[in-house]
Amino acid sequence: MKPAVLGSWIGLLLAAAAPMLAHHSFGAEYDSTKPVTLIGVVTKVEWMNPHSYFYMDVTDKDGKVINWKFEGFPPNVLYRTGWKREVTLKPGDAVTVSGWLARDGTAWAHSREVAFKDGKKLYFGPPAGTGDGGNIPPVSEPK
Amino acid sequence: MRHFLLTCIVATTALAQTRATPPVPRTADGKPDFTGVWQAGSNRVGTWEEANNPAAGAEFGIAFGAGVPAATRPPVREPAPYQPWAAKKVLESFNRRGIDDPSAHCVAPGVPRVATIGLFPLEIVQTPQKVIILYEVYRVFRIIPINARHPDDLEPSYMGDSVAHWEGDTLVVDVTSFNDKTWLGPVGSFHSEALHVTERYTRVDYNTINYDVVMEDPKVLTKPWNTHSTMMLRTGTRIREYECEENNLDPARYENLLKDESVFRRK
Repeated sequence: MKPAVLGSWIGLLLAAAAPMLAHHSFGAEYDSTKPVTLIGVVTKVEWMNPHSYFYMDVTDKDGKVINWKFEGFPPNVLYRTGWKREVTLKPGDAVTVSGWLARDGTAWAHSREVAFKDGKKLYFGPPAGTGDGGNIPPVSEPK
Repeated sequence: MRHFLLTCIVATTALAQTRATPPVPRTADGKPDFTGVWQAGSNRVGTWEEANNPAAGAEFGIAFGAGVPAATRPPVREPAPYQPWAAKKVLESFNRRGIDDPSAHCVAPGVPRVATIGLFPLEIVQTPQKVIILYEVYRVFRIIPINARHPDDLEPSYMGDSVAHWEGDTLVVDVTSFNDKTWLGPVGSFHSEALHVTERYTRVDYNTINYDVVMEDPKVLTKPWNTHSTMMLRTGTRIREYECEENNLDPARYENLLKDESVFRRK
């Protein structure tokens, strides 16, 4: 994801009163200052609660293949966001994924947008900053 | 001529709006009928797909104050009125980015938090004797008798005990008997077992419920905490399954992250 695009999401979150999404903190697990866009081939899709995952082989500059794991919405939300199980995303599909890196440094990312070869784009996960309080604390600093 | 044209346009628009938006439905006993599928924390009219299309600038579940008409209701973005010792605890959760969020363990999220999560719809079923609210998130439900007293054998619980009464066209829900294991909404917004919540549901038009909440907890707050948001009708949406326990990886990940808080702690 380009920094400019990320900036617009951060702006959106700042404008929000207090972003709250079930069921866990984005910010503890993922770093919204580390956006990532990867191109690869899907190897597995886990359509499950409370988060769905898919895995993708990504070939780096040196030809080394790394299997990345991407986290996203549970099935109920994916259905409402336009996804169909075993139809929309299948092993073997070549896609481009934008998201944010995990803080633990592993090949694991929080996914946001998935772009398909035919130009279609769908959201597999929520924007950065959900569930971690955004940028404004809910209380004033005690005196 | 200009006036005539303008009048025509205004009249046509008014007619179109009248046709597009039916009146607030009422039950046989004349009360507003809240029956339907709703989205919390939104102020956008339309189907789920229309109202949550990010390309149109919408986003899921940006709640706790979303969609509040400022002219008719007080501003909502006031800092939560925690006592100084309690505010420190809330800030600590904020600085730890909500890693201590109880909902990461898939437990029921409590009230009013459950009614502000916009990513998942809720369904209200209303009869003259009770109102039942079914939440997709965590598959929790509330059975709210009207004109009843709280039972006298209550134990502290995640969702508390709810009873309702009508004040005009507003359904007022009194919620008590909470445990202290949930958050009220924003990150770190803990409470004690002394929590008492009053919710007011007013269907102000066909598409909109004004959701006004007062939270009282003299053990942690300095005064009642008022928040407002809206719930929007989502015709055509249905409640689906959500089984949070299926593959919850977060507790194990958190345990690993907590070995070195500097990895995630706000600077």
